[in-house]
Amino acid sequence: MTNLRQQWLHGFLEMCLLSLLVDGPDYGLGLSERLAASGLGDVPGGTLYPSLLRLEKQGLVSVSWQHSTTGPRRKYYELTEQGRRAVRELADSWAHFRSSVDTLTMGVRND
Amino acid sequence: MTDSWTRSLAGHLIDCGVEPAEAQNMAADAAAEAEIAGTAPESLYGPALAYAATLARAARPVDGDPLDRATGRVLLRLDGVSKRYRRRWVLRDVSLTLRGGEVAAVVGANGSGKSTLLSICAGATRATRGVVQRTRRVGFAPQQHGVSAWLTANEHFELFGAVEGMNRSRATTVGTGLARQLGWNPRPRQIADQLSGGTQQKLNVVLSELHRPDLILLDEPYQGFDQESYVDFWDQVYAWRDAGAAVLVVTHLLHDLQRIDHVLELSPVDDA
Repeated sequence: MTNLRQQWLHGFLEMCLLSLLVDGPDYGLGLSERLAASGLGDVPGGTLYPSLLRLEKQGLVSVSWQHSTTGPRRKYYELTEQGRRAVRELADSWAHFRSSVDTLTMGVRND
Repeated sequence: MTDSWTRSLAGHLIDCGVEPAEAQNMAADAAAEAEIAGTAPESLYGPALAYAATLARAARPVDGDPLDRATGRVLLRLDGVSKRYRRRWVLRDVSLTLRGGEVAAVVGANGSGKSTLLSICAGATRATRGVVQRTRRVGFAPQQHGVSAWLTANEHFELFGAVEGMNRSRATTVGTGLARQLGWNPRPRQIADQLSGGTQQKLNVVLSELHRPDLILLDEPYQGFDQESYVDFWDQVYAWRDAGAAVLVVTHLLHDLQRIDHVLELSPVDDA
């Protein structure tokens, strides 16, 4: 089951990250904690940071380093205008896809 | 402050074809993120070698919309090509028109004549029937041949470049650049015999492209490639295509059907 979750996460991680950034910029560790808090579990750094880099290379997020008063400086990720458009489109098509899958699996669920 | 994991990551990134300056930046970023998280990089990202491959792939620029473009003149035309060895037909009535800026994939089971067809396209084998027309400047990377065990990568570049009238430094610069695009950084004194099978195959692919041919013919080039660099190979194919070349690839595994202009499916010919 763990393996299956990982595969799903692979497909949806970038959409989840973009969604988290809609509220405002955040840094890697903060995003990782919010993913865990939303019930997606621990996302390994080896998966998270390459995803963030891919979003950066696609021009969907921009990055800036900011000094922190309490510790080392942090790399903040912020949605670009293109990223904002992309996440809206992704959320729409995900909603359609999800409702189709829900319809199919509704009758066979345990809970 | 650089630990050995971070230095090792930078080195592996360069081996994956990332520009050295960018590799240093990416490695420093990774180290900084680990520091923020308060963990050792190794426990956050895993082994440097594996992480470098993942990171290098993520850093690659995104592909545009490949099929939305003008194609060039016809560089290869096959019309009713058939091949018989003694009394056995290995190819029957194959036709294809391939233009500059297009990719054709030849697929089919073992024994369906894929390699024979490629050899016919290259002019190394004569068709029994049918017409073959091709451009003059052809690059050909057959499965095994073409690499000399005791020469280094640079010596190969110089030798093959000389055939096309390139001087030494130009041949090695172009060759090294092409190798990097395939995620391989040739070491100066390493002879071909010491390269892994996958890297030898990359050398073969680089040699086929050294003189900027109009038509590039590749036979199973990923066979020895490791899984990670399979993707690099297709990036390279699309880069050649976008530069205006026609590319014909014999393959078992179709990477992305939508980005390929022609799929030629061969089936074993019945001995009827």
